[in-house]
Amino acid sequence: MSRLLRWAIGVTLLASLLFAAFFLLPFRTWLPGGTVADVATSEVVNGSAFNRLFPKTEPGEQLVFTQEKRGFSEARLKQADAIKALLAISDTTTAPAARSKFEGSTEQLRGWPLVEQGEQASALLVAERFQVKVIGQGNGLDPTQRHELIAAFDLDGLAALRPAKDARSTRALAPGRQQPVAIPVPVAKKEAAQPIPATPEPAA
Amino acid sequence: MSTVLERLDRLPRRDLTVLALKGISTLVPGDWQNITSANALIASVMGSDDPALIAQVRERADTLSRARHEGYGRALSLYDAVNRSQKAAGGLRLLANVGGVLPLIKQVAKLTPTTDTLQAVDLGLKVAAEMLAFTQVNGLPGDSFAEFGASLNEYAGEARVRMAALICFDALLPLGDQALQRLDDLLGQVGQKELRLSPAYGGMAAMIPGRGDDAHLSFLRRGVDQWLGWAGGYASSLGLNAQKAVQALETTLGPWQGGFEQLATFLDAFTDTYQHTGVQAVARRLVERAAAEI
Repeated sequence: MSRLLRWAIGVTLLASLLFAAFFLLPFRTWLPGGTVADVATSEVVNGSAFNRLFPKTEPGEQLVFTQEKRGFSEARLKQADAIKALLAISDTTTAPAARSKFEGSTEQLRGWPLVEQGEQASALLVAERFQVKVIGQGNGLDPTQRHELIAAFDLDGLAALRPAKDARSTRALAPGRQQPVAIPVPVAKKEAAQPIPATPEPAA
Repeated sequence: MSTVLERLDRLPRRDLTVLALKGISTLVPGDWQNITSANALIASVMGSDDPALIAQVRERADTLSRARHEGYGRALSLYDAVNRSQKAAGGLRLLANVGGVLPLIKQVAKLTPTTDTLQAVDLGLKVAAEMLAFTQVNGLPGDSFAEFGASLNEYAGEARVRMAALICFDALLPLGDQALQRLDDLLGQVGQKELRLSPAYGGMAAMIPGRGDDAHLSFLRRGVDQWLGWAGGYASSLGLNAQKAVQALETTLGPWQGGFEQLATFLDAFTDTYQHTGVQAVARRLVERAAAEI
């Protein structure tokens, strides 16, 4: 085997190894696009914090939690095996567009804006951040029933929620969402604070 | 990669898979609908036909299914892995059945593992996939056996049919009427070698919690234990057995002359029931979330 051929095979092997290392190995979790709308998970309130704020059930009814994710929690309200409604709390940090529909709202519930979406859904925006939604299922619910369900949530507890920020949150930001860091420059400040004489003093 | 709702739109409306599911659904109370339109699903969840609202929900659902951490895409890849392996194993067994004419196929037939143990591994992996997909979609930690067991009672609509299909196609037909009672014993005989022989394991190993084959094997057994408790009750409440399953399938697929095992092989090789109902189940959860978030 000629020396050139051996080199060629060696280089090809090395190149394919590098290719595999960068494109085939699971580096995908490090890349942006892992979270919804590329918002860092620490900026979003975890769904487990929402669970205890759901309404207490009345006799004969049953609340079955179906999903619990970052910034979202959903439960089905059931009555004797039939699903009456979907109840959900979501953090609109990952869906800013969802907030815009409340701008034109005319109705209010406990001071928070309330809107209707279609014939079966009512939504309330709490603390300009958390959306509480009730969607009627099966035979459906009329608006008053839906509003009563929304009012049964612990709305004050929800308004008081804040995301658990940790020290790593600033590093976890995805590229393109990072804020420019304002580093104070002490020297420049000092100079600005002390008036600089306009003209240098003439040498004695 | 296509999103969950695009996959739902591409599901077949009428083929062997759908016919097999229709047949099995006659054994399950309540009617089963083959949902293959994302817009119709959104409209039924929202209770509204407003096209603007449907488009909004759909856009949100696509955003959610593209975000890897949300797990909807991962749940689908679990179903895909199981489906690929089912088809591969089914195809090999089909060859083994028709083999005997050509010398080359005879060799293949000798190589194919058709033992009950492997069938048990296959079922175990399917149950594990179901549980992992459940945790991915619902956002629970990967080893929440108790929550999985509790939520099996809550399964409604398509999930009931899909569980009935799993019990019939992967347990009762290939392993016999005592399949559910024998399954624990069969899984007890499974070692690393048998586990490695299963094509599904290769695709799923990275997604099963724990390191190494032994940890995965104990995960499988614990998952199956949870499932068996529920499946036994479910099968006896519906009075499921292999004979009934064949009769139900004959109502849609036409008369069947062969044995139970051959029918199981045929279904493995030519239908995607598990993947089909899997896509429908994940899509419903995704739409329920998107509808609540817009």
